[in-house]
Amino acid sequence: MPEIVVKYEDKIIERVVSEKKRLTVGRTSDNDIVLDNRGVSRKHAQIEFNDNAAVIIDNESLNGTFVNNRRVTEEILRDGDTITIGKFSLEYYTETRRPETGSGLDGTMVLNTKKQKELVARDRSEKEIVKRMGGNVLMGEDNTDFSEFRLDRDVTTIGKAKFVHVHAKGFLLSGIQAKIVKENDQTAIINLGRKGKTRVNGEEIDRQVLKNGDIIQVGKSVYRFLEGNR
Amino acid sequence: MKIALVSDIHANLEALQSVLKDIAKEGAETVHFLGDAVGYGCSPNECVALLKKMCDIRLLGNHDYAAMGLEATTSFNQVAQTSMEWTLANLSRKTVSLLADFEMQASFEDYHLVHASPDYPEDWNYILNQEQAAEQFEHFKEKVCFVGHSHLPMIFSVDGDGQVESAVKSELAFEENKKYIVNVGSVGQPRDNDARACYVILDTVEKCLRYRRVEYDITAVQKKMRQAMLPDFLVERIAVGR
Repeated sequence: MPEIVVKYEDKIIERVVSEKKRLTVGRTSDNDIVLDNRGVSRKHAQIEFNDNAAVIIDNESLNGTFVNNRRVTEEILRDGDTITIGKFSLEYYTETRRPETGSGLDGTMVLNTKKQKELVARDRSEKEIVKRMGGNVLMGEDNTDFSEFRLDRDVTTIGKAKFVHVHAKGFLLSGIQAKIVKENDQTAIINLGRKGKTRVNGEEIDRQVLKNGDIIQVGKSVYRFLEGNR
Repeated sequence: MKIALVSDIHANLEALQSVLKDIAKEGAETVHFLGDAVGYGCSPNECVALLKKMCDIRLLGNHDYAAMGLEATTSFNQVAQTSMEWTLANLSRKTVSLLADFEMQASFEDYHLVHASPDYPEDWNYILNQEQAAEQFEHFKEKVCFVGHSHLPMIFSVDGDGQVESAVKSELAFEENKKYIVNVGSVGQPRDNDARACYVILDTVEKCLRYRRVEYDITAVQKKMRQAMLPDFLVERIAVGR
């Protein structure tokens, strides 16, 4: 069965697996896939499924429907295509990529609009924070001694030592466990101390370019990276 | 108790090994390191590993800091920059993780340790004259502050009236109402016209210190440095101690 993976700024909101022949996409709650944000029309588009094919049809929406970054009015979807509507992306797969969980009676996953609203609200407040702080920001999420830290240096050190810029807690953490560096127009985090003590989005890293919203863990301390210029 | 204070090894393994032998011979049980394990020389990984094994307190110097990519080398002179590029290319991941646990400053009993200056350790300011020393005494509460960084063994003192003096001596007994800043000199790249490795033995019971000068196989180090394609100026200066 085909699957649509709905993402908001690279974060998966929901996976939609449906037996319906037609899924409507739009801002209002009567749509099958609700994308609750400005930039999305009330009845923005629809996806129609035939025996072997799926077609996306734009309902003359104000801001348009894009497939693989090309504006379309009607387009046959191929496996792995990305439909972009406002800040949302819908990835189309001909087959469900993992076992269905939590599907509704008709096989349609219930879209968690509450989660969507939380994500959108957080996005708005994060935008205000980076605007106020004037650049990249670390948000203190857990075991930190600040709520917001402006990353205005070329190199920001994180670790257990007193002299580092960002203090982290944790067992067997190095004095300077990691550094966040500005490289051209990118920001990257590099683990300097003991292996396995720096994680980005749960993965152990040696070096990782940071994206907006990334969760950084150094020992027991948790930070969220907010990109200043998006 | 005798404590050896070593600084500015600058990746000179042969000098460090000779000094460690001399320390054992002198009967010092403890060794503390005041920073700049790497830079200039050709054995950074070996030196950091040996310092980690032998020293109780291990401090960061500006070259160690730069070698971890924590600071631009724009403040370095041309030769130092060239050697830092070599160091960055040859430093192992393991060495970086060892340096990540070195400290910026430390203290024990009535003694303070920092690589450059106690006021702002990360600014790497030099203490070269009485005027510069005079500004530093209020930034440590202990009686003596040991530093490295300039590679010039010398002693600054201040008395109860605020009178600051400087001296180059081979030994010193601490006086009651004075505070001191003691530069312990450099093991790996002395710059006081004496090519022998320099370090200090502190006697915490007798309340005195003495400088030690140790000969090592400079020719062997120079050969290795040339093979590593390090700048001639750096190869030549260790033989003349400048």
